[in-house]
Amino acid sequence: MESLTEIFVRSIFTENMIFAYFLGMCSYLAVSKNVKTAFGLGIAVCFVLVVTIPVNYLIYNFLLKAGALTWISAQLGNINLSFLSLIIYIAVIASIVQLLEMIIERYSSALYNSLGIFLPLIAVNCAILGGSLFMQERNFPTVGHSLVYALGSGIGWLLAIVAFAAIREKTRYSKTPKPLRGLGIAYITTGLMALAFLAFSGI
Amino acid sequence: MNIRKYLGPLNKNNPITVQVLGVCSALAVTAQMKPAVVMCLAVTVVCGISNLIISLIRKTIPNRIRIIVQLVIVASLVIIVDQFLQAYFYEISKMLSVFVGLIITNCIIMGRLEAFALANKPVPSLIDGLANGFGYGIVLIIVAFFRELLGSGTLWNYQIIPASFYEYGYLNNGLMTLPSMALIIIGIMIWIQRTKESELQEKQ
Amino acid sequence: MNTDSNKYVFLYITILVLIVAVVLSLFSIKLQPLQKANTDIEKMYQILTAANYKNISKENVINQYEKLTTEIIINNDGNVVSVYYFKNNADEVRAFNLSVAEEYQKAFDGKTDYILPVFAVKNPDNSITNVIPVAGKGLWGPIWGYVAIASDGNTITGAIFDHKSETPGLGGEISTEKFASMFEGKMLFNNKGEYVAVKLVKGGILNSNIDPKHGVDAISGGTITSQGIEKMIHDCLKLYIPYINNKL
Repeated sequence: MESLTEIFVRSIFTENMIFAYFLGMCSYLAVSKNVKTAFGLGIAVCFVLVVTIPVNYLIYNFLLKAGALTWISAQLGNINLSFLSLIIYIAVIASIVQLLEMIIERYSSALYNSLGIFLPLIAVNCAILGGSLFMQERNFPTVGHSLVYALGSGIGWLLAIVAFAAIREKTRYSKTPKPLRGLGIAYITTGLMALAFLAFSGI
Repeated sequence: MNIRKYLGPLNKNNPITVQVLGVCSALAVTAQMKPAVVMCLAVTVVCGISNLIISLIRKTIPNRIRIIVQLVIVASLVIIVDQFLQAYFYEISKMLSVFVGLIITNCIIMGRLEAFALANKPVPSLIDGLANGFGYGIVLIIVAFFRELLGSGTLWNYQIIPASFYEYGYLNNGLMTLPSMALIIIGIMIWIQRTKESELQEKQ
Repeated sequence: MNTDSNKYVFLYITILVLIVAVVLSLFSIKLQPLQKANTDIEKMYQILTAANYKNISKENVINQYEKLTTEIIINNDGNVVSVYYFKNNADEVRAFNLSVAEEYQKAFDGKTDYILPVFAVKNPDNSITNVIPVAGKGLWGPIWGYVAIASDGNTITGAIFDHKSETPGLGGEISTEKFASMFEGKMLFNNKGEYVAVKLVKGGILNSNIDPKHGVDAISGGTITSQGIEKMIHDCLKLYIPYINNKL
C-alpha cells in the first residue's frame, strides 16, 4: 500500500483539490482578492477537512459500507447502506462546521474573528464534500491514512488560494483588456497555474 | 409572466460566467460531450425539482434550520439521480464518478434556493431552477464541445476530423484533454461575452 | 403557528428525515439489482473480450459467458480449491465474486492465505484460454484488467485494461483496443524458462534492445500509467506461476 508520505505529497501537489479537480472554486474565486483573507479561508478549509474526513471515514467503514455492520452481528453482514453516504456526509459536515463555530466562538474570540466569518461558507464548499467522497473512493486501509490525506488536501487548497491571491494582487496593476478584467483573467490565471501544477505529476 | 426574466441565466445572468456560482464540481467532466450533457441534465433536474419542493414547503420551514432542510432535500435528490444513472446509464455514471455527488455542494442550487425559492410561488421557482440549471449546463456543453473536438477530434464519440487530415500531419491537441484548459476556455468565453455586453465589465 | 419553537423544529426534522429515509430506501431497493447486473455484465464482457470473443452484444453477454466459462479458484500453491460450472453447483463460492484487489493485497503483504480466480474460457476449437484478472494502480487511481493466457501457459492471447480516473487521451489510452491488442502473442517466459512478463518500453519497442516477445510500446505522455501496467502484469501473473507449472 502506498506510504503516508506518498499520500501526503500527492494530495498537496499532483492531486491538488483546485488544480486537478476544481473543487471549492466558488469560494476560491470569490475570496482571493487579497492574501490575508485568502489565508484565513485556506486555514479554515484545512481545519474542517482534517476533522470531517476521518469522521466520515469511520462512519463509512463501520456503518455504511457493504458488510460494514458485521461488527454488531453477523446477520447484518449483507446490509449495504452505501447509498446513504452522500446525505450522511453532508449532515456530518454541516453539523461539525456548526459545532466548530460554536466552540471557537466560546473559547477564542481572536480566532473567531479571523476564521469565524468563513465557517458558514465552508459547509457548502465542494472541496470539503469532495474530500470525503475521494476518501471513500480511495479505500484507505486505516483512519491514519485518511487523516494524512485530509491534511495534505487541506494544505494543497491553502497553497493554491494563497498563491492565487498573491498573483491577483499583482495583476490589479497590469493592463488587462477591459472585458477580461476581474473574473475573466482570474479563470485564465487559474488555468495556467493548473498547467504548471501538472508538472508535479511527473514526480 | 415575464418570460425574459427567466432567460437571464442563459446570458446576462449566467451562473458560471457572471454570478461565479457552481464552477466547482463540474468542470472536470467536460473532456467529452457525453458526460457534460448528462451532467447538464442532472443539474437542471436537481435544481428545478429542489426549487419546486422548497417553494412548496417554504412556509413551514423553521428559519433556524433552513440550510439543513435545504441540504437534506438536495442531497436526497442527488442520491436518487446518482442511483438512477448507475442503474440505467452505467457507462456514463462511471465517467462522472464522484462528480454527481458533488452536485449537492453546487452553489447554484443552494444559491437559487436561498435567493428565489424561499420567497416565491412553486411554478416560478420551478422555472427559475430549470433556467439556472440549464444556463449552467450550456457553459459545460460549450466547453466540452471545444475540448472534445480539438482534444480528441471527435464529437459525441464520433470521429469528426477526417482521417485524411491526420495523414497530412494534423495532430490532436492533447493539452485540451487536460482539465486546466477548461478554465482557459471559460476565460475566453467571458472575454467574448463581456466584449458584447459591455455593462458586465468590471471596474478595476 | 410559531415555526421557531424548539418543539416544532424537532418535530419538523424528524418527519423530514423519516420521509427522506423511506423514499431513498425505496429507490435503492428498486435500483440495486439493476446496478449489480450492470457491473456483472461489464465484468463478463471484459473476460470474454480478453479471451478474443469480441463485440458480443449486451444482451448476449450473460448467455455466452455461462456457456463458455468455467470459474476456478486456486490457492497460493497453485492447487485448485473449487471449480464452478454454471447451473451445476450453484451454491459454490464463485471466482466471479472474489474481490481480486483484496486477494492480491494479501499476497503482496506476504500472507499465504490468499485465493485467486482463473476464468477458463472455451475457444471455438475446444482448447481452453485461461483469463486472469490483474489489478494495480496508475497515476490517479486503480487500474485493472484481464490477461488471457493460452493453454501452453506461456503465450498471451489477448488482454483488456480499464481504469478509474487516468487522464483521458494520455494514461486513459490503456482502455483502448489498440493498446490492449499490442499484448497479443507476447510471452511470459523467455527461452531459458525464466519469468520476465511484458515490459512497456518508452520510445517504442523497435528502438530498444528488448526482445519483442517481452515488450510493447509504452503510452506517450502516460509514463506513470505505463509503469503501473507493467508492474501490475508482472506482479499479479507471478502469483500464478505455481498454477501454470502444476496444471498446464
